[in-house]
Amino acid sequence: MGVFDKLVFALGLKKREASVLVIGLDNSGKSTMLNHFKSEDQKSTEIVPTVGFNVEKFKARNVGFTAFDMSGQGRYRSLWEHYYHDCQGVIFVVDSSDKLRLVVAKDELDMFLQHPEIRTRRLPILFFANKMDVREAVSSVKVSAALGLERITNKPWHITASNAITGDGLHEGVEWLTNQIKENLNK
Amino acid sequence: MADNERWLTAHHDPLAALYTFSSCMALADLHGDGEAKLIIADLGTGAYNMKLKVYKGTNLMSENTLIDLPTGVITFHMDTTEPRVPAVAVASGSYIYIYKNLRPYFKFTLPTLEVNPAEFDAWGQARDDLLDVSMLYEILDSLRQEVGECGLTTRSQRFLMCPDHTSQTAFLDQHKGFILKRQTVVTCVSTLKKSHSEDDAISCLVLGTESANIFILDPEAFTILNSMSLPSVPVFLSVTGLYDVEYRIIVACRNGQIYTLKRGTKIGRPTAELTSQPVGLIRRDKTVIVATMDHHLHSFNNKGKRLWCIKLPGAVLCLECLELRTLSLTLVALALADNRVLIYRDKHLVDTIHTEDRVSAMRFGRFGREDNTLVLVLKGGGLVVKILKRTARFDIQDADGPSQGQVVKLNIPKKTKLFVDQTMRERENCVLMHRVFQHDLYRLRLSTARSYVQALETSSNPISLSQTEPLKLSAQVLGLGPTFKLRVELQNTSPSCPSLHLAVIFHCDDRVYSVNKSYIQIPILVPGIIHVAETLLTCVSELGISDTVRVFVVKGKSSRPLLTAVINMPVAEVFMAA
Repeated sequence: MGVFDKLVFALGLKKREASVLVIGLDNSGKSTMLNHFKSEDQKSTEIVPTVGFNVEKFKARNVGFTAFDMSGQGRYRSLWEHYYHDCQGVIFVVDSSDKLRLVVAKDELDMFLQHPEIRTRRLPILFFANKMDVREAVSSVKVSAALGLERITNKPWHITASNAITGDGLHEGVEWLTNQIKENLNK
Repeated sequence: MADNERWLTAHHDPLAALYTFSSCMALADLHGDGEAKLIIADLGTGAYNMKLKVYKGTNLMSENTLIDLPTGVITFHMDTTEPRVPAVAVASGSYIYIYKNLRPYFKFTLPTLEVNPAEFDAWGQARDDLLDVSMLYEILDSLRQEVGECGLTTRSQRFLMCPDHTSQTAFLDQHKGFILKRQTVVTCVSTLKKSHSEDDAISCLVLGTESANIFILDPEAFTILNSMSLPSVPVFLSVTGLYDVEYRIIVACRNGQIYTLKRGTKIGRPTAELTSQPVGLIRRDKTVIVATMDHHLHSFNNKGKRLWCIKLPGAVLCLECLELRTLSLTLVALALADNRVLIYRDKHLVDTIHTEDRVSAMRFGRFGREDNTLVLVLKGGGLVVKILKRTARFDIQDADGPSQGQVVKLNIPKKTKLFVDQTMRERENCVLMHRVFQHDLYRLRLSTARSYVQALETSSNPISLSQTEPLKLSAQVLGLGPTFKLRVELQNTSPSCPSLHLAVIFHCDDRVYSVNKSYIQIPILVPGIIHVAETLLTCVSELGISDTVRVFVVKGKSSRPLLTAVINMPVAEVFMAA
């Protein structure tokens, strides 16, 4: 990347584009989380279970994001791997109030990390320990331990406690992801 | 614990302190929020502290106290109100308790049975102080001998259980004022969809009772729609169909029989007889799978024909049907006494789950938001929740199935007219044919016995079985003719006694053969050693015929031979060529 390009980006004259994959179990709050980033007039008032996937676009700190909002239902999870190839970042949403299915989330995460498209890449992964407002919710530290995140050594990752309905913690998480993607693009 | 690659352990609480059985567990979305809850009727200590527990995920959400020991828990839709939440029915003693939104809603009481008149009179007189305690005890005790323990009311049973006079008096004083009732108890409970087959359609309750009856209850009015009787006490029920259209109830009973009840029938039809008492019954498609106490798993079709039967490596504790809709598979899980849960696909073992304790209850279904969840309650009270992985497959890898030879169809020829006629004749005259056969058989046996006696009398057999001279003789003819060599082998078969003064004599028609040495003296015969005596024999006849030569073994001056052998001589070659 030349000096001129760098200057252009630094001045914010040209936007960068990045596509991110949003995955996680069903009912973890992926669509609700993305709904929060939409502009007021585009926001949907009622979130229904996603069928297949949806594509959403949003902007954060001069980076245009194309988010693939994958359905988390068991029968659609096999679709995830088709989008592994051309994504620059991954958002993994976990329902921290569903203790029973943390093990399922871990299983899906392990399969994701073991996938040949993912294993060797230095892909930034953002975890949302979602539904922090629910009474039975466990802390983000516990979610991190339950998913075994400390084992991920070859990828930058970050976990944030969030509440997708009110938007708490979402911007903090996405800011981290934007920085990581920017770093990767500047290389 | 060896972790299984097909199942994820979602929850493991060894200190859940649950005491329950498979029939007392249910999974249902009780609040209409898309999240299935686990409903467990806990037997507490087995005497008190019985609770109806509801788990939401890993947390205990609510507890309701039960008055008596539960025998079954089932969830069903009893009305069409929105949101569609099912009611919980708990069978306990003679009652069915219905809970809606986890609040007591209705109590159904089983119809009372007729009280034995003698028993009724006895209690009536005892109430009016015409009978004292010991007399009442005697009357009831003799009645128990007559009609059996289960023919009496619960009160009489309890009274007879009182160990001494004072406790009997106390019991009588406490209870004599009340009306005597004889009640039966619910043994098993199931549901039957009323008129629609959707998942959330209104269902009737189907109850099996200790009085060997099956009742079908109306879900709204809780009246008995249909009452059927069985020859024995039902223990496991499997119900399919619709009440208003056609239904079939398959019942495993305590007498080790399976009965079928259909719409319109009043009495159970015997379908299959088991080798032992059943420990679980499930139904999939058109087959019934039953595990029995003698470590076997049987599969029957609806008509009661046994399809297969396998021997299991241990005693079965409980049985559960795993219906995997995503794989369109139905598997059978069996909990064995050796801390294992075996999963069978038809008769093939496809998976094994190891647990740290014996499994006392199992339930498979949707729990939380996960469809394929297996809930296990361990003997020590632990609760384990296993979730089937999305990628799990249950393929039959082993080639233990029927071999190729069994599949090949045999080429059976068509039945000819002759065959049919013959079969008809055999069928019509079977008695006569049997008699003729028997007659001939007896004659054959008689003539055999006669020849045997004759042979023994004339010693014309080649092995002597007499106690004094046990001998064995074998003769051989060597050569082509006209001169043959006769070779006789003699063996003493006695364990120790040697034989003395033996001689071999050859006897033949002197017009046909001339014998070189017709008398050969045998030396002392030591036990076990084979002695060979040989002679030359020349055919002198020019007619080209052959005859028999008799070989006698004689002892001393005895006129009766010890052994006789008859040798059929071959035709001499020279004459054959001529």
